[in-house]
Amino acid sequence: MKMSSKLLLICLLVAALASLSEASIGGYICPYSSKKFLDIASKALKADTQDISSLYHAANSFKILNEAVPANLKPVACQTVKKLFNVETLEIDNLFYGVESFKLLGCDGKLSTEGVVKKVQDILQNEKSSVASLHYASKTQTFLGQQISNQAKLAQLVQAQLKTDDSLLSLGHALHLAASLGQSGKFITERIEDIVVQADEVDGKLLQWEGGLSTTSLIITGLLQFPASSPLNQPQADKLANYLLSRLTVQTPKGISALLEAAQALATSKVSPVSISVTGQNSVTLDNPNLKIQVSDIFGKPLKTALSPVVAQSATRIADDVVVLAKQPLNVGAKETEFVLPLKLEPGYYKILLNAGPHSTTLTARVLGPVQVKTFEIGLSDADQSSAPKLEKLTHPNKLNKKLQGDSGQNLLVKFTLSRQVHQAFLRLSSGKKEIIFVAGHESNSQYKVEADLGQELPISDSFNIELIIGDSIITNPFRWQVGEIEIKITNAPTVASLKTLRGPKPEIEHMFRKPEKRPAKAVSLLFTGLTAAPFLILLILWSRIGVNLSNFSMRAVPFHLGFGAILGLFTCFWLKLDMFVTCAWLIPVGGFTFFTGHRLLSHMARSKKPEKADK
Amino acid sequence: MAQINAVLSKFYNDYMSKTSKKLKVIDAYLFYILLTGIIQFAYCVLVGTFPFNSFLSGFISTVSCFVLGVCLRLQVNPENKNQFHGISPERGFADFIFAHAILHLVVMNFIG
Repeated sequence: MKMSSKLLLICLLVAALASLSEASIGGYICPYSSKKFLDIASKALKADTQDISSLYHAANSFKILNEAVPANLKPVACQTVKKLFNVETLEIDNLFYGVESFKLLGCDGKLSTEGVVKKVQDILQNEKSSVASLHYASKTQTFLGQQISNQAKLAQLVQAQLKTDDSLLSLGHALHLAASLGQSGKFITERIEDIVVQADEVDGKLLQWEGGLSTTSLIITGLLQFPASSPLNQPQADKLANYLLSRLTVQTPKGISALLEAAQALATSKVSPVSISVTGQNSVTLDNPNLKIQVSDIFGKPLKTALSPVVAQSATRIADDVVVLAKQPLNVGAKETEFVLPLKLEPGYYKILLNAGPHSTTLTARVLGPVQVKTFEIGLSDADQSSAPKLEKLTHPNKLNKKLQGDSGQNLLVKFTLSRQVHQAFLRLSSGKKEIIFVAGHESNSQYKVEADLGQELPISDSFNIELIIGDSIITNPFRWQVGEIEIKITNAPTVASLKTLRGPKPEIEHMFRKPEKRPAKAVSLLFTGLTAAPFLILLILWSRIGVNLSNFSMRAVPFHLGFGAILGLFTCFWLKLDMFVTCAWLIPVGGFTFFTGHRLLSHMARSKKPEKADK
Repeated sequence: MAQINAVLSKFYNDYMSKTSKKLKVIDAYLFYILLTGIIQFAYCVLVGTFPFNSFLSGFISTVSCFVLGVCLRLQVNPENKNQFHGISPERGFADFIFAHAILHLVVMNFIG
């Protein structure tokens, strides 16, 4: 598993880092992909399938990759082919796949091919057969060891069919069919240019025919059967190869078989794409400065005609565009396809222009180097700059032998010099879960400085670990250095930091009632209550002195007084406990009663008074 | 001083003799209301206004009662008969009672 993930990584690196140029392709069908393809093919052979074509494609993949079908899979697959092979139910393409896979698998025994010949003849005679059927039928016939009787007639049939259906798929099949017809198949050469023109280009890098991998593969393999008409030029072949490499993730046996067939056709043609890529890691270190480069065909195999010389035309540092080497021939490596370029250079990213014979490419490589701390000083300075800072020198892996003692009026001052500039230089102060990270400011010449105002940045009294963090993508030894500890005493600050909870419920808000104002003493209140009530006595005394006439008070007046008393009582209740609505509801009947009785009483009084008035 | 005393005594005697008993009763009531209001105000000045709404409702209650009382006295006074033609003393008293009922509903609502 570990091995395969490593291979995958290498595959990805190869695909991603080798940039494309006109005369070469980046990457190849690497061992990891081949292994994956074989795994998928094996699974297809094992499967209890109804689809005879998947067995053919799986067996075909094994054949192209030059791998023998595993012995334990063979009987199962042969059994499945025998079971599925049925002249009555299968279409001609599946019949072809059946006989072909039977042969590819190398099965024992004999497939019952009775009736196949008749079916093939029927198709070849039928004017309505599609180009694909004609293709499979003729192939099956050849496979069964029979010559195609009338090649000229078949060619005419195909041409007639192409008039009604000249889709890419039909044309692909026509190419294959015409290739098998020899002289009679010449008609197709007129169409070759037309077919090639129909290919779609993607981003100027990929070339494909509409219809996906299987159509593209069918056409590539078909076209390359006519080497005399040189259907494809080198850039086209390279772009087609790039398309095939972009489809390495394909998961179906059919796709794998198509991809491998096309790749094989390209690799064996005159326009076999040259793959120049970095094998293994694209980064080298000073200890191991050899960049391994592979020059191969699309399968990662040696080229038919070895290309020489393999020369690094130039290497340019990407950071400042400085050319660091020119025209350096590469040494031959351990394998025939492997070349070695020693890169004893300053650490950094380099762009390498590589020539292999007429083919060239641009590769990106990374040279890693170590970084050292040259000087390191740490100390505390007064925030108001009143006195010179006292700095303590320290060498890299050592720790401070005593704790620094800081307070809020001081700055923590750290200065250090590295052997080279780095991307990431931080000073981290931590205590338990609390941490604060300062970015080291780059001053000049790989000098760095951190100045932290303890009063502002760390308003917590605590003991902190000091750690220096150095990192970069082109150094071999990124490190974290425990420098020492610092004890910070902050006056007028809480000793424990208020840990803010980022998530979770907020603290409950408690309603604050206004504080009641100070009440006067009870005695005073009672005294004034009494005083307020006192004038009532005076009223009674005055009235008695005046001599209130109660003689008019009769039984008639009682209901009115009761009613009015009830109203006042209701008001008292309202004051003490009732609310406005209840009060109003009660007020209506009581008030109505009082009004009625009052009206009766007063009108009676008015009537009885009138005669008196007249007397007066 | 003596003159003032003389004026006051004459005023008192006139009041006692000429004013009808009914008006005297109302005047006594007004005097009572006035005293109550003064005492409440004195409390507010001496002790404090807290609770302010209670003080306000009490004080307003006395002021309103006083005003209503004065109104009743005006309507009942036979000397003002020309101005309040067609309004009998009984009618005035009924209005007085009705106004009180409304007033105290408000006061009780406000007293808290």
